[in-house]
Amino acid sequence: MPPIQYNDDEPLYSERPEWSDVQPLEQYENITPLAPIFYSPEYKDATGYLRAVVKSGEKSQRVLGLTESVIRMNPAHYSAWQYRYETLVALIPSDFKTPSTINSPDPLPQILQDEIKLLDQLSTAFLKTYQVWHHRRLLLLLTRQAGHELNFIKKGLIEVDEKNYHTWSYRQWILGSFGGLGGGGTDESGDWQAVDEDLWVGELDFVDMMLAQDVRNNSAWHHRFFVVWGCGVRDGEEDRERVLKRELIYAKQNISLAPNNPSAWNYLRGVLTHTKTPFSPLLPFAIQYIQPLDFGGNEGSGQEPKGIVDLENPPPSETAQLPCVQAMEFVADAWEADALQGDGDQEKLKRAVKVWERLATEHDVIRNKYWEHRIRDAHVAMKKL
Amino acid sequence: MSDQSTQLPRLARAGHASHCKRCLSGLPASQTDVDASRLALAFYCIGSLDLLGVLEEQIPAQDRDLWKEWLWAQQAKGSFGSGFRPSPFMTAQYLSKEAPSIEYTAYDTPHIIMTYTALLSLAILRDDFSRLDRSGLLEFLRACQRDDGSFSTVPGSNESDLRTLYCAFAVSSMLDDWSGIDVSKAIAFLSTCRTYEGGYGQSPFCEAQGGTTYIAIASLSLASASTGSEYLSALEKQQTIRWLVCNQDKSGGFCGRTGKDADACYCFWCGAALKILGADHLVNADGLALFLSSCQFKYGGIAKAPGENPDPYHTYLSLAALSMYQPSEQAAGAYTATWKFQPLDPLLNANEETAAWVRNHIPARNV
Repeated sequence: MPPIQYNDDEPLYSERPEWSDVQPLEQYENITPLAPIFYSPEYKDATGYLRAVVKSGEKSQRVLGLTESVIRMNPAHYSAWQYRYETLVALIPSDFKTPSTINSPDPLPQILQDEIKLLDQLSTAFLKTYQVWHHRRLLLLLTRQAGHELNFIKKGLIEVDEKNYHTWSYRQWILGSFGGLGGGGTDESGDWQAVDEDLWVGELDFVDMMLAQDVRNNSAWHHRFFVVWGCGVRDGEEDRERVLKRELIYAKQNISLAPNNPSAWNYLRGVLTHTKTPFSPLLPFAIQYIQPLDFGGNEGSGQEPKGIVDLENPPPSETAQLPCVQAMEFVADAWEADALQGDGDQEKLKRAVKVWERLATEHDVIRNKYWEHRIRDAHVAMKKL
Repeated sequence: MSDQSTQLPRLARAGHASHCKRCLSGLPASQTDVDASRLALAFYCIGSLDLLGVLEEQIPAQDRDLWKEWLWAQQAKGSFGSGFRPSPFMTAQYLSKEAPSIEYTAYDTPHIIMTYTALLSLAILRDDFSRLDRSGLLEFLRACQRDDGSFSTVPGSNESDLRTLYCAFAVSSMLDDWSGIDVSKAIAFLSTCRTYEGGYGQSPFCEAQGGTTYIAIASLSLASASTGSEYLSALEKQQTIRWLVCNQDKSGGFCGRTGKDADACYCFWCGAALKILGADHLVNADGLALFLSSCQFKYGGIAKAPGENPDPYHTYLSLAALSMYQPSEQAAGAYTATWKFQPLDPLLNANEETAAWVRNHIPARNV
């Protein structure tokens, strides 16, 4: 995103009487520069004053205005952000203390309220700039108003960019830092920490909403894994068997709505691997998605009379584009694992090889070398069986 | 993609070299946001000229010496040790008669990513590194490492992610001296960035991403070479290889995250990670070249995707990807010569001759 251009109506700092006491410092450039930037007059002007205040150590209201000007012209100017933050901290009324609880109802000092308002605007304008998110984190460590942040992110993800990496990682950082890891409020060293488990409460609904908007949004799938498996156990989620069952059904149902969705299959594989659950019990489900291909071993699947909905094995819709590459991969992996680590049935490995052959030559040709590599490995393994 | 129908156009080497030379000579005001990372941009330009093999023939020795001078002028020392700044963007012109200050201020410190790119740029320019403050550099790395094992971009900052960890590892490896950092603590941090997909996120809990997966795999491999330890299990390697390979999409290009569109830079990040993992033979090189050919801009330079504007970052990483993945002669046909590159060292991200220069000139024992 190009930097927002400086407002033409604003005078240069060198023309402002209230800055006449400061002598701007030009950028050092004695040596023939590499890749010099042909700065705009406004940027040259403002950064000259920034270097001057940094040198004199001035931390005042007007410095907040100055750093804002620089940041609007160059949001990646990390020194301007750094100095802005230190100025802000210096200007906070001395009776303010970081609240001991998350989302404290006590009003924040005006200067912090203004900063949050400004940041809400800048984070939307400079969504892909590291520094703006970094500044938000620092500010949140001061205010602990995590609830506001979660709402702000929700709005940004829905309305502005549903896959923005910075926004998602900021959300994950907030939940990990302020939501606690389940089972009490102590950190690794055993010190008491201000956490609020309630921050997690809406997360699964939020993921549902994001996936309803786009079921292929891998960031939302990743977030689900983070919430359910990656960062502690929430209240009501202690029965992991039940959670596993729920998550498998969730993934399978989403696959039945849109089978060719690598994100959903990766989630399914991730959950199985994380919980050390074998793939093969899911074969009746997955085999429905490799139709019309038939490698044998399809007994007992896809045969249910119409009208009976099997929650464990939701079928593809009639319009689904099959065979699904990810299902073929899953089925072959399950057969391979069975042959090598399970029942040792060599026929299954032979069937897996046939699947990989079809992937290499017909259904996933871009990865033909990968599938050929899987076939070679299988032949090596077969000799050892 | 690997079928006989793939026919590559010419790789417009001269145009790509011109794009980089243009950027080195000056950038428009619309590029003001690279002010705080100018040295990295210079590296992508100088690196592209190196990969294209035209540096010595197209840039007079006198100019190359001036470039070195500018790069050395960014080396600064102070209370956090020595390293390189992105540019003099926060360095004030000296007021009359005032003696130039050698030491940096708290707002003008060296930056860990710029330090890595400066060392590579100077190696490309075949500098003898007699001016490198090696002990200061170790002190700087120490100042950047945080309690959780990660590294901040500049000393004392909270801004840290896996990129900076790689830079600390790469610089330690270049120095052949790891005493500036706590490797096991750093690796413990890195491990928390691994995700269920088999890739690595930028920070703990984050989604797997191609760039940070390269960073993680390269860092582990650099550390292994020094410690002799193996950090990944066979199963973990398999999962990472699978995820990386799955990122090559039908266009032949690589995407950075599951389900996103292909982007030229991930041809390098995913491709280099696969090469480090010994899985380069699994990449469809003709498809990769075809995608990158379509990202070429009419007037030189390579863009992240077809139809976008080019920049030195995507140009360099595309050329680096091609240095590892050469298309078949069958696909390149009459243009085969335009697609030829010298081999690349995927760990340091430099052509092998430059990497050898690094190994021979940066460690203290070779001074």
